[in-house]
Amino acid sequence: MRRNQADIAVAAVVPVVYFGAATLGAPAAVLAVLGLVLAACPGYVWAEVLLSPQVTGLERAAVAAGLALAVPIIGGLALAAAGIPLHRTTWAALFAGAALLGDAVLLGLRRTGRRAPPGARQRAPRLATRQAVALGTALVIAAGAVVLAVAGATRQQHPGFTQLWLLAGPHAHTASLGVSNHQGTTTRYRLVLLHKARVSATWNLTLSNGQSWQRVIGVSDTGTVAARLYRLPDLAHPYRYVRTADRSPAS
Amino acid sequence: MGIVVLSAATGVAVVAAAFTAGRLGYASPPWADRAYWLGQALIVIPVAMRLLSRRPLTAAQTAALVIVLATAEYVVKLCYSPLGFTFVDELAHWRSTVNLMHTGRLFTVNYMLPISPRYPGLEEATSALASVTGLPVFVSGLIIAGVAHVLFVCVLYTLFRHISRSSRIAGVAVLIYASNPDLPSFDSMFVYQTLAVAFLGLTLLAAGRATARQPALDRAGWLILGLVAIAATVITHHATSFMLVASLALVAVASVLVRNWRSAAWLASFTLVSAAAVTGWVLLIAPQTISYFRPTVTGILAGIRALLNGGALTVPTSAAAPPGNQALAAAGVLAMSALLPAGWWQVWRWYRRQPWVVAMAIGSASWYAIIVVRLVTADGSELAGRAATFVFIPASLIGALAVSRLIGAGFRSWRAPVVAAATLVLALALMFDGLVNGWPPYWERLPGGHQVAGFERSVGPEEIAASQWTLRWLGPGNRFAADIGNYAVLGSYGDQDPVRNVAYLYTSPAYTAAVARQAQLLAVRYLLADWRLTRSLPMDGKYFVVDPRAGHYTQPLPAADLAKFGRVPGVARIYDDGNLVIYDLSGGQGAP
Repeated sequence: MRRNQADIAVAAVVPVVYFGAATLGAPAAVLAVLGLVLAACPGYVWAEVLLSPQVTGLERAAVAAGLALAVPIIGGLALAAAGIPLHRTTWAALFAGAALLGDAVLLGLRRTGRRAPPGARQRAPRLATRQAVALGTALVIAAGAVVLAVAGATRQQHPGFTQLWLLAGPHAHTASLGVSNHQGTTTRYRLVLLHKARVSATWNLTLSNGQSWQRVIGVSDTGTVAARLYRLPDLAHPYRYVRTADRSPAS
Repeated sequence: MGIVVLSAATGVAVVAAAFTAGRLGYASPPWADRAYWLGQALIVIPVAMRLLSRRPLTAAQTAALVIVLATAEYVVKLCYSPLGFTFVDELAHWRSTVNLMHTGRLFTVNYMLPISPRYPGLEEATSALASVTGLPVFVSGLIIAGVAHVLFVCVLYTLFRHISRSSRIAGVAVLIYASNPDLPSFDSMFVYQTLAVAFLGLTLLAAGRATARQPALDRAGWLILGLVAIAATVITHHATSFMLVASLALVAVASVLVRNWRSAAWLASFTLVSAAAVTGWVLLIAPQTISYFRPTVTGILAGIRALLNGGALTVPTSAAAPPGNQALAAAGVLAMSALLPAGWWQVWRWYRRQPWVVAMAIGSASWYAIIVVRLVTADGSELAGRAATFVFIPASLIGALAVSRLIGAGFRSWRAPVVAAATLVLALALMFDGLVNGWPPYWERLPGGHQVAGFERSVGPEEIAASQWTLRWLGPGNRFAADIGNYAVLGSYGDQDPVRNVAYLYTSPAYTAAVARQAQLLAVRYLLADWRLTRSLPMDGKYFVVDPRAGHYTQPLPAADLAKFGRVPGVARIYDDGNLVIYDLSGGQGAP
């Protein structure tokens, strides 16, 4: 009796296509889809190997999903125990190896008639047109809900802020001084550096949103170095303030 | 069926709209909250009505209802945090996954949740998917958690159907299980339990299926699946693997009680294998599991001892929920407590020769145990809540037997509509109890502006930017003092080592030598002072992870308590963004 073995062929081709696409530098979206299919392949194939044809529908799908999730967990542990770093190629090879090994076992079982291809099993009940339309509409509504949530989260207004920092290093007698603007708009600042309470340097900065400014400054062993950041045009009130530890003998 | 699916999708959209309203500054008005509950009603009520109605349901329709419910609630969870993980445990696992992807090694250090890298199943699966697809860790984590969540519900349904031999009872059981407050939270978030419970369900299903009479090859298939699922559970989550051993042992004992020796032998074998796997993993890979659970076990034992000796019960450490929530919680407890004896009666009448049902009946008694734990133990609500995932499995099946009997008996008399309505109200009370008293807490039901010392609403761009700054400029693993709101962000985005017991640093008006010594003993190097702590009270009643004054704050922290660090000799003020100020305490250890 001739039986359709297309699923075995697909499971064997997917790893080849994935590695080909990865090697040729395929677009990210293509690799994402191929990667998802590659990750699902071992679960499908091994569910075909392990389950009798009488197991159908939800139960078979659940086992396939569970096996797909278990492959990186158990396989990753085995690879790590063998001292193999778990990077992209390793994971892809693991999925491919699990799928191809399962393919070989499944082919043997089907040839001896101990496992049947999907076409020979009891088919799941088909969706009526009305139900399919309802399901499609529901999926569109749910997708719209996610888009709405993403848009809401993206547009959420957060109070703007500006980061000012001053910390010792990277070398002896130096300190890192920096400003980062997250006000949501281009902002003008005046940064005043004080050594022993006296102004030692001043910078006027104009930073666009997300832009940072930083310098390595020299500091002495004694006395405090402080930095005051003013948000222009207000020069009366320091907007941010940082300082090194006071190590002068008097303190 | 089409209407149920459409209603659920519309419900998700309405909830998403309520979330968006919250984000746009309308989290407080009652209409936003009502919109949220309208959406939940559109999801839950049609599914419940269909499962509890007298109209016949095919197995496929029942399965579809179960999948619709699980998927819709997962999408709701996704809409709550659609741009990134925000819950504290999710952030911890995100950090472990990022570490795994950067190093290519398992068992890296996670300062925030040190036990989690020792159970790396979730991180492995997520890192593998993110690596082969090129998708961000967040998206990959959502896919893994979503698949695991729906898988768990589907496996639960399949297991219940296998045990009860009725898709209707299985559907009702899953409906009752959906009232478990953990299902939309700890069983659907990006946390290791979400994935592990799916494997727990698969193991139980495989164990149940392997005991049936069948060809050797088919049995071998279920046995291999069982072994794979046991291994995956053990690698993924400690508590779930303990519960797996307990569950298998319980079915083995029940098999002995009903004299089903075949089932007893198979289940005993599964129990031994899983017990050996758990023991081996704990001893060889994750010995810190013992110290991780010691405080919990000690707390439970101390609470029980206090109760037996007539001592005072533990004072709750969190703010009390609104009266409506408490009333619904009480109604839920009462409803389930009443359903179980009725279910046991059904077990005795119809199922007392079936080992799995008898095991479920015995296991469902743990429902009353978690009520006791809730009452007598420190953080009992937390413990009882976390145990709900497992306790609800047997309890929901036994409850479903009672509910199905109620509906069945009602069908044959004039009382049918009354019984059907009462059953629906009962089921909805249970489900809304789970939603109302589950996660997120009522004060963060809708996303919105920053919340002082909160959970999801304490994670915003400012906190993330400060934490990323610490990682870039201070390096990872510094011992940090922070309030509860910044704790998780520092530990995850910042990869810092936040210290739990730091309240004394913030609640004293002076940085005394004693305070400095205590900080030195805990090796606290940096301190993050969030000035918003001086402007708002914490909604949960506590500012810090370990807070001796939890539940007793009547006004925000005095500004002087935070300002004191600016006057301590040797302490450097290294970072300032307006709300968040970071001090380097290393030079002021002996202060004053």
